[in-house]
Amino acid sequence: MSEQISALIDDEIALEDAENLLGMLSANKQAQDAWAHYQLIGDAMRGDGLLRHDFKKNLMQKIELEPTILAPSASKLDTTQTIAKGMKDFKERLPVTWSIAASFAAVMMVGWMALQHQTQSDALPAMMELAELEHSEQAIPAEYLIAHQATAPSTSSYYMQSVNYSE
Amino acid sequence: MSLSLSSVKISLSVIFVGLLFTHVSAQAESETEAELWVVLQKAAVAARALSYEGVFVCQTTQKTRAVQIRHLFNGQSEFSRSVVLDGSPREVLSQGGELVIYNARNKDIIIEKRRGQNMFPAVLPVNLDAVKESYTLQASIQERVADRQTQTLLLLAKDNLRYSHKFWVDKEFGLLLKSAMFNQQSEILESIAFNQLSLLNTVDLDWFKPKIDRQKNYVMEDEQVVSAEAKFPVSWDVKILPPGYQKTDQMMRAVAGKPYPVAHVVFSDGLASVSLFVEPVPKKAHVKNRQTKVTLIKNGNTSFYASEKNGYLVTAVGEVPEATVVQFANAVVVNAADTGVAKLP
Repeated sequence: MSEQISALIDDEIALEDAENLLGMLSANKQAQDAWAHYQLIGDAMRGDGLLRHDFKKNLMQKIELEPTILAPSASKLDTTQTIAKGMKDFKERLPVTWSIAASFAAVMMVGWMALQHQTQSDALPAMMELAELEHSEQAIPAEYLIAHQATAPSTSSYYMQSVNYSE
Repeated sequence: MSLSLSSVKISLSVIFVGLLFTHVSAQAESETEAELWVVLQKAAVAARALSYEGVFVCQTTQKTRAVQIRHLFNGQSEFSRSVVLDGSPREVLSQGGELVIYNARNKDIIIEKRRGQNMFPAVLPVNLDAVKESYTLQASIQERVADRQTQTLLLLAKDNLRYSHKFWVDKEFGLLLKSAMFNQQSEILESIAFNQLSLLNTVDLDWFKPKIDRQKNYVMEDEQVVSAEAKFPVSWDVKILPPGYQKTDQMMRAVAGKPYPVAHVVFSDGLASVSLFVEPVPKKAHVKNRQTKVTLIKNGNTSFYASEKNGYLVTAVGEVPEATVVQFANAVVVNAADTGVAKLP
């Protein structure tokens, strides 16, 4: 069933089979979940925005107004190497700016409203958290570490959770 | 009189020859360092422009993880898939600078989207200008890593506001095979090294997809960025700001457990990054805790500092020494007059 759903999403299924499958989808809760998961994974892989199509454009215009700190210059490389061509191709398509993490992150602000709603009820005053920390044995507050690594990931943070869940 | 004149002449010529000599030797040294920078630059580009697969081990002071990587550059785009082999299942798929992390958390798989340019072995930026300002480069001995001969380079911090690094670069392919971060006491804080590596000769992309666990729920992570506001409530005193760090990002963001958006600024020296967070201290807590509270925590290569400043909580966190986060927090100036933060409940 899951394979068929996957095939349906990838458009790799015969039309009459698809009709059957869609019929089953509407009746079967498990199949609906699988459908939703595959769609979500597909969206994530494609980088589809879940927001209005012009949101990113507007944001990019705002970011254009920001001063850019780092811009890779065309660098001098020894082109006699065998890998030089690959490197050249690579350099030619380097983005002009690369420090606008906000452009990517901000498109993903879905859930902000929900988050805001949720945090209003269970928010702890910041200073009280810190006061507790001064007595407990010293772990960096996870919320700041997660926020830092979401925008400026360190190399090891890609492979390790900053906070343990069930590890 | 004539005697003294000639002695002056002699001493002058000695000085001149001496000057010439130091000038020549200084030039020779700087040429050598320039050549080393080219090696490092090639390593930065090779990690992105070559196609390869292998297994590397990432080690911090707290954890060790083996990671299987496949990286492909097809002449147009970069694709990579990194699968963490130890601990809880986790994999990272990246296309160019955009990446998606599939992160198992209890019964869910959390899908996190990031923008990143420094996944191993592409830990170095392609533009090393900012790095050159804050670090010097030296050659070290040749060593063997993952059954390959490497040239080793020491990237030494010019001050105590950042950590130093050692890089092992493949002599044939120019690819970075191993990197280590260390402090002034030469203690290793983080190291990443290939155990095995081979170049790929394919443009197939059938592997570029996550392994799907049908028993799990796939959930998109809550997004945190509120806006990249033009009018930002925080600035900083450039005289106090640690040298070599430039602002690379700023935004208002949601932070877990905070009822209001927090101002977030990111600084980088090309390798190390520091985040600054500024938020109003809740009124109740403010009255209760009259004296200023300060927290300084160090955990492996990461330092954390929080202090109160005129009714605002200023927090700095980054993969830098403690002195750096303290200096960043001290450099903050809250523009109370036009702060959007203050007006929020």
